[in-house]
Amino acid sequence: MTTGNQLRSFARKPHNVILIVLAVTLSFLTLFPLISLAKDTLIVHPSEIMTVKGSSVGDATLFHWKKVFFDGETSQNMFYKPFWNTVNVSLWACAISLLLGGSVAWLVTRSDLRWKPFISTVFIFPYIMPSWTLAMAWLNFFRNRLIGGAPGLFTALTGIETANWFAYGFFPIVIVLGLHYAPFAYILIGGILRNMDANLEEAAVILKAGRLKILSRITLPIIMPAVLSTFLLVFSSCMSAFAVPAFLGTPVRFQVLTTQLYRTLNGLNPGYGYIMALVMIVIGTGILLVNQWIVGKRKSFTTITGKSSNISLVKLKAFKNPVSVLLILFVGVIAILPLVTFAVESFIMAPGDYSIKNMTTQFWIGPGSEDVGGGEPGILLNKYIYLGLWNSVKLSVIVAFVAGTVGALAGYAVVKARGTRLASLVNNLAFFPYLMPSMAFGAIYLSMFAKRNLFIPSLYGSFALLVLVGAVKYLPFASRAGMNAMLQLSNEIEEAAQIIGIPWWKRMVRIIFPIQKSSFLSGYLLPFISCMRELALFVLLIVPANRVLTTMLFQYNEKGWNQYANAINLLIVLIVLIFNTVINKVTGASIDKGIGG
Amino acid sequence: MKKLVILSLLIVAVVSMTAAMGEKEGAAAQPAEKVMTHDELVAAAKAEGRVVVYSITSRIAGAATDFEKLYGIKVEASNLKDGELIEKVTKEVGGGITGADFVISQDSGRVFGQLIATGYLVNYVPPTLKSVIPVKYQSPLTFQLINKVFIFNSEKNQSPVIKNVWELTEPKWKGLVQFKDPKSEGVNANFLTMLTSPEWSSKLDRAYQDLYSKKLVLTTKNAGYEWIKRFFENGLVLGNSDTTISENIGIKGQPQQTLGLFVYSKTRFDAKKNLALLPMTEVVPFSGFIYPAFIQLTKNAKNVNAAKLFIEYLMTKEGFAPWAKDVGSYSANPTIAVNEGDYPVSFWAPRLVPEDPQFLFENRAAVEEFVNNIAYK
Repeated sequence: MTTGNQLRSFARKPHNVILIVLAVTLSFLTLFPLISLAKDTLIVHPSEIMTVKGSSVGDATLFHWKKVFFDGETSQNMFYKPFWNTVNVSLWACAISLLLGGSVAWLVTRSDLRWKPFISTVFIFPYIMPSWTLAMAWLNFFRNRLIGGAPGLFTALTGIETANWFAYGFFPIVIVLGLHYAPFAYILIGGILRNMDANLEEAAVILKAGRLKILSRITLPIIMPAVLSTFLLVFSSCMSAFAVPAFLGTPVRFQVLTTQLYRTLNGLNPGYGYIMALVMIVIGTGILLVNQWIVGKRKSFTTITGKSSNISLVKLKAFKNPVSVLLILFVGVIAILPLVTFAVESFIMAPGDYSIKNMTTQFWIGPGSEDVGGGEPGILLNKYIYLGLWNSVKLSVIVAFVAGTVGALAGYAVVKARGTRLASLVNNLAFFPYLMPSMAFGAIYLSMFAKRNLFIPSLYGSFALLVLVGAVKYLPFASRAGMNAMLQLSNEIEEAAQIIGIPWWKRMVRIIFPIQKSSFLSGYLLPFISCMRELALFVLLIVPANRVLTTMLFQYNEKGWNQYANAINLLIVLIVLIFNTVINKVTGASIDKGIGG
Repeated sequence: MKKLVILSLLIVAVVSMTAAMGEKEGAAAQPAEKVMTHDELVAAAKAEGRVVVYSITSRIAGAATDFEKLYGIKVEASNLKDGELIEKVTKEVGGGITGADFVISQDSGRVFGQLIATGYLVNYVPPTLKSVIPVKYQSPLTFQLINKVFIFNSEKNQSPVIKNVWELTEPKWKGLVQFKDPKSEGVNANFLTMLTSPEWSSKLDRAYQDLYSKKLVLTTKNAGYEWIKRFFENGLVLGNSDTTISENIGIKGQPQQTLGLFVYSKTRFDAKKNLALLPMTEVVPFSGFIYPAFIQLTKNAKNVNAAKLFIEYLMTKEGFAPWAKDVGSYSANPTIAVNEGDYPVSFWAPRLVPEDPQFLFENRAAVEEFVNNIAYK
């Protein structure tokens, strides 16, 4: 074959074309912004003419690098300390979520626990809800007078004053992040346990090995690589958490990289912020590499055979009822109680007074009043809330559509061309945004699109920019789902259609998609839900005209208008839960499929 | 080949759709300045039909509702933090993007350096008010003055709890004083910066001698820095919001006497939220600080006339009503009376630390770094 022929035959296959287009587009959308970001660490920004003496906007400077890394006490306080805080918080939160998520996963898949369907549904609520939900609930409960003035529900009910270290800072951040990501670990580890070939375990049972021995010598080694890779994914998620440390850390001046990033980018020295974003991306990339190395090694285990027979469930015996009841209580406390506190807090007029006569509907349906806030009406009468709600839904739907579609195509193409270098390039590019901390990702898009760049006009402040950043950021979920869907689909089905001359798009729309409908739809659902509850990604890019509910919530929170904030939070959680349930019931798509695989 | 074309079109469409959506050309055209009569202005404003305003004061919401009712012009009002507002306006006007038509901003050091010197904000003094508003408030046009003062919990005790700011550095007040994080609001950083100026640091130096009858021993550059350091290191509680701080200080039934340095107007929450708050006005050498909020058009305002009309409205008695209802807001228009329970600016001015834009522009960054190093040790 001549090169021309080779090229022609290469281009005749739709998946090759998809791969080329994706490789170019994704490089442009993920790698190119990095260059822009790097450049931003080296120039003087408009707000920095106060800091970098005698400079003018746009001058080249090493000032930021020097200040962030090599300026003694200043760098220590600005960068190194938040950096170590970040690492510490992520490690501990990770440990909690793995232990908790792993245990629940084991109990649900491998034991005769009671009420499994209820537990497994409700246990993932904290992951579906915005991450700061639990943080706000923590504050509602454990706020103390030492710093917070009005004490929280816990103190109001028991009279016990909570300690500072318990109410704010490192400890609650770790607990809250751990709880938030426990469902994530549960989904990943549960997926492995469910799909794992039970033959080995059964063989051990036949050979009369003890349960503990089976767990430690067979089950754990088999799932270890998956657990490690879960660990890395959870670690990088914790590292990029913004809202939780922002809510719980500020009162005791506990800083992590994301909160520093936000402050510097909105303050006098965005240059510092861009450097921190770069650091976080480097860590994320490192994690991706390590993860790949681990997953690569995992190939030696065949974890999914699809034929695993029904393994006999471990009998919890005397522990069955206590454990089941405890778990029910636990999921109630972490998933349902927070919602109750939001409801209660949103009806309170004078802070800290939980008597009935202090209840008011002012913050839901009251008219504006300057002597309780800034004169804004209750949230159900506030036109800006509806604007934000509409923007949130519109944004999430479009992002889900774009990410889901591109992800499905990517999944299709990558699986079709499995093993080629191009396919693995696209696979990596499509997964890369997952490891970029949301806030850093927002920062690089801010840096790249705030001004005219190449042929692209300045997109700052446009809805399109939000769509773009959301679609790229959530592409990994969709492409994962798309790939899983395609892997389960035998090639012959498409080939049969090909032989009788059905055009490509018709094969996609009429055959492939319908067969794997629920898997593909999961690739739309996860971006939708993530987008509805996203804060860190958008908080730097939003302008008042296209504000979304989450950024409004954040503003109300910062202003200290707690009742409005609690009311909006409740609204967001309910909307997300309702959407999730409806979509799940109607289409069978579910978020476990997107990440669990 | 056909399917290929369709495919590539599809992908290109998906990708470029996002790029094309919502992208609008900034209306950069600046209408020539001609003197309109008031009726002409109203007509032109109504023809535009809407106006977008970013504001550092949340009570813009009330004024917007009244303005909408009066003229039938739709208002999109957003309440932003001062630094956030400056960043947004820089990006929007700098990038030629349509955003706010006019803004109410604060943080004079940054506003002068970043928004006025660059021409991003355009001054507009309504012709009807040129002879009313004092000249010193006309360029840039000042909307109002705002004061933050030392306020204490007055549930059990109604007389001032300190006489001298140096008392706040004593162990007695450890952990009982609250102040908004200077990193989350520029004017607070400005106040601290002003303390390091020659004028205020020498006043602080004298105040120390008055109180302790001995010379202040410096561990920092001057008495201003020294006070900041000791103030912060005495367990100062930093908040994110003056509203929260007002609740923390004012809530009844607290075991210990607390006080805060926050916006005087928050005492308006007293009745509804059941708080007990009283200001102190005779603290040596200052009882707090005072700063201006500016009201100006953006360079690329789309609804210029509606913006001008709204600016004029806000500078009148009716427009200022949401602020005048309570203490702690002082319109630059002297015909608008100060709230009955409050003192006029002439009373406050000598008791509070003012802003000096030039000094702030030159020294703010250094003070911020200093504060960051002691606050986040």
